[in-house]
Amino acid sequence: MTEYVVEARGLTKSYGDFRAINNIDFNLPLGRIVGVIAPNGAGKTTMLNAILGLSSYEGKLTVLGRDPATERDALMKDVCFIADVATLPKWMKVVEVLDYVEAVHPKFNRAKAMDFLSRTKVPVDRKVRALSKGMIVQVHLAVVMSIDAKLLVLDEPTLGLDILFRKQFYQSLLEEYFDEDRTVIITTHQVEEVEHILTDVMFLRDGEIVLEANMDELTQQFIEVMVEKGKEAEAMALKPLRHGSSFGKSTCVYKNIDRETLAKLGETRRLGLADIFVATMTGDGQ
Amino acid sequence: MNIFKALVMREMLDGKSYYIRTPIILAGLTVAILILSTIFLGTVEIEGMEREKVKNIGEGIAMFQEKKPEELASAVTMFYWGSAILPWIAFPFVIFFSLLGTLYEERRDRSIMFWKSMPVADWQEVLAKLFVPVVIAPLIFMGVTVAAQLVIAIFMALIVLFQGGPALEMLPLGLMFVSWFTLLGHYMISALWTLPLLAWLLLVSSYASRMPFLWAALPPFILIAIEGIFFKTHGIANWILMHLGGWRKAMDDSRFDNIHGPRDVFDVVINGSLGELTSITASSPGMWVGLIIAGGLVYATIEMRKRAI
Repeated sequence: MTEYVVEARGLTKSYGDFRAINNIDFNLPLGRIVGVIAPNGAGKTTMLNAILGLSSYEGKLTVLGRDPATERDALMKDVCFIADVATLPKWMKVVEVLDYVEAVHPKFNRAKAMDFLSRTKVPVDRKVRALSKGMIVQVHLAVVMSIDAKLLVLDEPTLGLDILFRKQFYQSLLEEYFDEDRTVIITTHQVEEVEHILTDVMFLRDGEIVLEANMDELTQQFIEVMVEKGKEAEAMALKPLRHGSSFGKSTCVYKNIDRETLAKLGETRRLGLADIFVATMTGDGQ
Repeated sequence: MNIFKALVMREMLDGKSYYIRTPIILAGLTVAILILSTIFLGTVEIEGMEREKVKNIGEGIAMFQEKKPEELASAVTMFYWGSAILPWIAFPFVIFFSLLGTLYEERRDRSIMFWKSMPVADWQEVLAKLFVPVVIAPLIFMGVTVAAQLVIAIFMALIVLFQGGPALEMLPLGLMFVSWFTLLGHYMISALWTLPLLAWLLLVSSYASRMPFLWAALPPFILIAIEGIFFKTHGIANWILMHLGGWRKAMDDSRFDNIHGPRDVFDVVINGSLGELTSITASSPGMWVGLIIAGGLVYATIEMRKRAI
């Protein structure tokens, strides 16, 4: 057994000449909530599919000490995922979904799932087909959150759901599911909504990892300064990643420059994850 | 084993209308038609009955019993089979479309992503999807047939009773019982022969991106055409026909020359031939080659299921 939940070395997936993921290395320890943030087509889903044993790959990949390509069924006792919205079988009733999972999954706690569902308006004797999109996601989340897994992978889990539900979902994920014995991987385009719960982030571009960092450390590295009038030359001398202007003042973004130094130039604030992502993706953040 | 049971239950639930509703509706329909037509026609004098000096079914049975008592039980049993045969006409279609649809539909509606998130191996999934239509479905069809035959038998016994005929003759339960198991045996042997064709349907279901029906029918058809045009032979077509039932030709059919009544049909064709069919099947290299091909196709299906997302 390794100390990492996921270990990848030289992980590559090619479709003909195209490399959807290109020779990437990473380790994910237990007890983390990792956000995988990437533009469309960067290889995010390809990487997750490899981790989940849904596709073949080249290189070395170990998930909970197993090879996902050959041991998907055994792996799924400790790994849970929601790969796409609305993958629950539409012809089943909600209770039948629970019956099935209870029969095949040794770590499923039905009472817990019923408890989650009792807090929603989901009618459990209806077919999945008859539920709204939001309810279907609620059922699926109730199922995965009632499975005592070590790794939970959520690929755009809240796509198409309203903001109230999304807030509530991330809150219960943090409060009722997550602990130091589990790792959660989340991908989403709604970066602002997850950044407060993430412990780690990984940025992907063109099949490669461009940034892998601890959230606290990352947000300390990037500082934005509203430069006071007359200090523009001084600010530019520190080589900002980006500079622009708002409300007639210059704003500069810096990476790895001491906050004390920057405070002399003007008002400082930490950059949000979305802005860090944009700064990194546009190539300046390296 | 628990997982396999859960998969079988799930397949049953998914194919409820195929596997359960179809036979019940069809059997119910034939029972209803038989009962209604008997009530409205069976008690009135009809032309043929008049000539034979019988007024109704009761008297007809009594006369039959008097003339050919040894034939009656077989005749009645076969009449019940004929009355409840409709589900079995639908049965090949049920097998065909459930095998062709099962691995195709789960990819089309994306539920495959949910099934794959469970600790269930792809080989278990594929075997369950083969097992349910090929083994469980005929058992259900047989169960429904048995129920329908019993309803018809009890009804006929009551009619004959009220008409003063030999009511108990309408309940040849021993022979009916034998016929159920014997015909199930016939089915199982046929299924072994048909297995490579059934496994082909399952494989098509696992790879066709759309129109599985065309994928299932077109490649064999093209191969048959190519063989016919270039080699002037019909090997592929003959192979398919042999596995669909042509294999029965290997049976010694001289005994069919001596069929003189319902009892002979029952004894020779249904009961008598089961042993010979079994030995033909077990000793036929063609059947074993077919099973090996079926195994290869199932293996390919499992490999396709592993890669499918």
